[in-house]
Amino acid sequence: MRVTTRDFRRDAAATIADSHLQVALETATGHFRDGRVAALAELPDAEALRDHLKAVRAATIARLADHLETFERHAVAAGAQVHWARDGAEAAQIVTELARARGVTLATKSKSMATEEIHLNAALAAAGVTPVETDLGEWIIQLAEEPPYHIIAPAIHKTRDQVAALFERETQGPLANDDIPTLTAIARRELRQRFLDAGMGISGGNIAVAETGSIVLVTNEGNGRMVTSLPPVHVAVIGIEKVAPTWDDAAAWLALLARSATGQPLSIYTTVVTGPARAADLDGPEEVHVILLDNGRSRLLDTKYAEVLECIRCGACLNICPVYREAGGHAYRSPYSGPIGAVITPLLFGLEAYPALPQASTLCGACQDVCPVRIDLPRMLLALRADEVARGQAAPVEALLEKGAAFVLAHERLLRWGRRALAVGQQPLVAGDQLRVPAAVNPAQERRLPALAPRSFHELWAELEDEDV
Amino acid sequence: MKMSEAREAILGRLRARQTEARQPGVWASQRDFPDLMERFAAALTATGGEVFVEADLAAAVVRLDEVLQALGAERVVATQEAPLDGLDLPARLPVFVWNVAGEDRDGWRAFCSRADVGVSGAEAALAETGTVVGQSGAGRSRLATLLPPVHVVLLPEERLVSDIFAWAARGEGLPASVTLISGPSKTADIEQTLAVGVHGPRRLIVIGYR
Repeated sequence: MRVTTRDFRRDAAATIADSHLQVALETATGHFRDGRVAALAELPDAEALRDHLKAVRAATIARLADHLETFERHAVAAGAQVHWARDGAEAAQIVTELARARGVTLATKSKSMATEEIHLNAALAAAGVTPVETDLGEWIIQLAEEPPYHIIAPAIHKTRDQVAALFERETQGPLANDDIPTLTAIARRELRQRFLDAGMGISGGNIAVAETGSIVLVTNEGNGRMVTSLPPVHVAVIGIEKVAPTWDDAAAWLALLARSATGQPLSIYTTVVTGPARAADLDGPEEVHVILLDNGRSRLLDTKYAEVLECIRCGACLNICPVYREAGGHAYRSPYSGPIGAVITPLLFGLEAYPALPQASTLCGACQDVCPVRIDLPRMLLALRADEVARGQAAPVEALLEKGAAFVLAHERLLRWGRRALAVGQQPLVAGDQLRVPAAVNPAQERRLPALAPRSFHELWAELEDEDV
Repeated sequence: MKMSEAREAILGRLRARQTEARQPGVWASQRDFPDLMERFAAALTATGGEVFVEADLAAAVVRLDEVLQALGAERVVATQEAPLDGLDLPARLPVFVWNVAGEDRDGWRAFCSRADVGVSGAEAALAETGTVVGQSGAGRSRLATLLPPVHVVLLPEERLVSDIFAWAARGEGLPASVTLISGPSKTADIEQTLAVGVHGPRRLIVIGYR
């Protein structure tokens, strides 16, 4: 797969033309933005706490090997089994082998971007295991066979009617009602039975706490608790960068995660798993497996992109981004969309495959302003663009134009003559004082460029100087 | 072995690229509330939880009886942890069919699945966010507080701490499962419209006492 600027523009133009999607995007991201502002304002020291978490994350990433080994030691001491996966295929193989060895045919999953990233559901299906997503939004997009639209709200683009149609198909019968409480009750009933029947529960992990070997999961629905409590086997897939050395560090992380994401002080459920059920426990899994997933992360360490590993996946940058808010999540064609997706998608899955994404930004800097750990995403978007040029990946036309512009700007006389020529030559494209940009390069007609003025600043300045003298 | 090969490869690459860094110290939280129970009740009510504050344990048990009656509960599961373990609720409130943690290990999951209400204590509670902290262990249960549609918590005031940083600093090892619960189960995944009780309990009722 290759996502070019043309692909991105086409997808974005379709979303911009879809008034329903525009309303859905603005409602959802607006709700999250307002929530975040209010939740941070409620803290007496939010800015200092963000600085603190930034320092914690930066120091942790710098010594990642040490912290992962500490995590592993404590997780194993608590009875968990720790696996390491260099890439998605290796991680998926570990999960499918665990399932095969235990005769698992049904696995319930709580929402996990790491398992989206490695396409675990396809691997499970190929191995004869039925994966069932249990986060309501994630279940909706699984039924619709679509990728997530937003890293914390996967189905924001779906209307109630569309959800009702999907549920009707899944339950093979007409619904009594299609209001939202009814739809939620259907999900509760349908998925409850699957939670009880599943031979394996699969989760991601928001945080791996090194000092106790614990995996922390946050959910609002309670599905994270279900998949870690009911099936006999729990498998957590977590990126190697998501380590907090201590519980104090994890507390800072949790204090900012939900506030930045949805504007909640904490998510409804914060579940902490430290190994399998102990001898005295009445319930809980017999086995807990933690898969530490690299998949391109380790090679970012000690590079100009290492800072991106500090991300805590709150989604605040998506909600503020003027490009995401118009173009929507699917234009990125990656599980990770928005500004963070535009940076980590090419870094994890290859800049050759995603040349459009570093361009999908106005570089306005709003993402950095709202990031709880103040990641300098604009800097990295620019660095990725520079990488594209350095690798000869930039479009030949663009390279030619840039070189031409550099040459003209270095030769003043050429600039003056060229400008005069263009002021005349543009006439067929001018309407009023605007330039009509051809649809081929401006499909949504969203770009408005002023026409070149009849006389340039240079010329006006020269006249003013004459007057003064 | 392939597994350890991956481990060595990942750790080797990380180790080769480690740089010096000093971890910052502990966060000095500024959160402090004059009345922890009052703040707890306000915060939990804001997320859709329900809170009663009673004068003592005896009054809390009376309130529990009223709450269970009002819910129309028939089957109730309860954990055997402080303060429930000394109460003998089945004898005190005999109108309900009780299943108490530890009595029938094999039937436990089915009891929790069928129960109308789960009653538990709390290991701790966070005033700032209206959070109750439940743990696994002898006499405790993950499922009793998860599967029934209503979860009722008896919470003595002395278990309250100010915020998550105070809880993180408790300095004990962790049991297999810890759950911080800050309201009834909810979702806004369809059209950003709030709906309660998608997987976990629809109602969270905390009976605090001083």
